[in-house]
Amino acid sequence: MKRSFNPDNLLFVIPIIFFIQILSIFISSTADAHKVSAYAYREGYKILGECYFVDGSACKNSKVEVYNTKGDKILETLTDEKGKFSFTTKEKGELKIVIPAGEGHRAEYRIEGIKEQVERKEIKKEVLKEEKQSKSNQNYLDREELTKMIDEVMDLKLQGLRSEIMDLRKQMDRIGLRDIFGGIGYIFGIWGIIMLIKRKRNAS
Amino acid sequence: MHISEGVLSAPVLLAGAVLSLAGLTLGLKKIKNEDIPKVAVLSSAFFVASLIHVPIGPTSAHLILNGLIGMLLGWSAFPAIFVGLLLQALLFQFGGLTTLGINTFAMAMPGVLAYYLFRKMLNRERNIAFIGGALGGASAVLIGTLFVSLALFETEKSFIGVAVTLLTMHLPIAFIEGIITGFVVLYLKKVKPEALG
Repeated sequence: MKRSFNPDNLLFVIPIIFFIQILSIFISSTADAHKVSAYAYREGYKILGECYFVDGSACKNSKVEVYNTKGDKILETLTDEKGKFSFTTKEKGELKIVIPAGEGHRAEYRIEGIKEQVERKEIKKEVLKEEKQSKSNQNYLDREELTKMIDEVMDLKLQGLRSEIMDLRKQMDRIGLRDIFGGIGYIFGIWGIIMLIKRKRNAS
Repeated sequence: MHISEGVLSAPVLLAGAVLSLAGLTLGLKKIKNEDIPKVAVLSSAFFVASLIHVPIGPTSAHLILNGLIGMLLGWSAFPAIFVGLLLQALLFQFGGLTTLGINTFAMAMPGVLAYYLFRKMLNRERNIAFIGGALGGASAVLIGTLFVSLALFETEKSFIGVAVTLLTMHLPIAFIEGIITGFVVLYLKKVKPEALG
């Protein structure tokens, strides 16, 4: 069995890798990518979400399908120009949001059930009822207005945080140089192991 | 061209896995020990090529290089592409682990076909070798789109519609890959002619 290893074997392939890497630095930073990701969150019965490609660009006018825990499709909607979507549903269980982007691409996201929040709301309602009985009507109205105001203020304050979380998510999905070089290292490692196994077999 | 997880039904996935397994065993048997560095480098070239996106209209497609890999490796393109796809699935979530089989077959088989169709042209003089490389590189991409549309037939329900969109999307890619493969062949002819022998 021939066991000679010719270092020339590597010579001719190094330029290929270099060429590809130079290309990748120039091209992949500007172009859209094709892996689709989805992210969504709940606001009571309203669900807001966004769909985007690996590089963070929006997934425009894409179909959004929502399934319940049993696997039945509850509703269908479309993403807007910014890749955002929203819908309201009475479904309290876990929801699965699927974005079939066509040509074999697909994104999935699961949203947890609403159970806890509902319970809390019920308690609130009971408290409110008691208060209504004991206190005057005006006080109750004030309270409702107050919650509305708090909601509005909180929404404004949370908006920044939400967009920051979104940006972080997009960044996490982006492919870094570390992943690329790491992957190449793994590939060489795997082939090294294959070579070792083959050698041992040939020797025995 | 990666088919994501959850798009295909179990029979299609299984068929792809079985076909790829056959190709993998054949490919692994055919690799000689001294060829493994070459296979490893082409494997990582495939891994990186998918990150090079070419924008086409509203979407984009990426380089595949399955023609080049197929023509240089023959049946060993199966393990080379499989390893590349495995790491793409693990690190970038391109495709998925369940669709590894069908994706491997859809990418590697066209390369092997290009090997049988155009490999002989690569040993000839420069011009013919360039044309052979270009034809192999381009045809492997186009045959790949056909395999992918066949796999998607069951979910998308329209073979021709999907095939036409995929084909038009990949025409520029096929063109670019044809040129790249042609030049790589010329380069190899100069630097390392025995790699084409």
